[in-house]
Amino acid sequence: MEMQLGDAGEGVLSVSLTGRLDTQGVDRIETKLTAHLVPIAARAIVDLSQLSFLGSGGIRMFITIARALNRRGGKLVLYGAPPIVAQVLDMTSVNDIVPVRADAETAAAAARG
Amino acid sequence: MHANPVTIHFAGTHDGFAQGFARLRGELDAERLDAASRYSAELIFEEVIANIIRHGAPDGRELDVRVTLEARADCIVLTFDDDGVQFDPRGHPDPVPANSLDQAKVGGLGLMLVRRAASALDYRRTAEGRNRLTVTVQRPREAAAPSRAPCKT
Repeated sequence: MEMQLGDAGEGVLSVSLTGRLDTQGVDRIETKLTAHLVPIAARAIVDLSQLSFLGSGGIRMFITIARALNRRGGKLVLYGAPPIVAQVLDMTSVNDIVPVRADAETAAAAARG
Repeated sequence: MHANPVTIHFAGTHDGFAQGFARLRGELDAERLDAASRYSAELIFEEVIANIIRHGAPDGRELDVRVTLEARADCIVLTFDDDGVQFDPRGHPDPVPANSLDQAKVGGLGLMLVRRAASALDYRRTAEGRNRLTVTVQRPREAAAPSRAPCKT
């Protein structure tokens, strides 16, 4: 699991994830991602297009971070999930509580709004 | 040619999990499953083993895990055998979807994914005091596998 942190412009941060977000993947990035986003109550978009695997650990991580951000006035928006990853998001109904969009532009708009 | 069924044996530790998962993926590579069945098999392995490691030994002892993979004509069968505390996943209902982030519960998602990905789930506690969970994943029927038994489901 590789993570790249960047800037999507207009006050929105970008996160890109590559590889497998399984138990080991989550262990690798959760602390760093949380520390990067939560203390500054970031508005952030997460690119899922390079994920080859997503399990419940990754979903738990997104919910936990999104909740912490929400409470501080920040926001987390996921986007670009490949079909098989999108199915997993759907099966857990996480998209009812964490916004999921098709692309970076609509995700950034949702993060700002 | 790879063995079928094949049993993967590992310790219920993070390293054991990683090694076991790598081995499973090698076996799934050899089987050349379609993408959807492949993902289901990996997801089931990930969620079941993560739960065993997280909850199987409250006293912290090292667990022993065996996973058997059997490829049949129209399904694959994963059998998880561990010496952790008794746990029957069938007795745990899916979490109710939350209306808001504040209400969201993060427990039980793994088992929910297992139930959604599987076409059948069976559990028993063996005479040796081990959990045995059998999970079936449907696959498109293989055109050239007359020697393989179909699934009963």
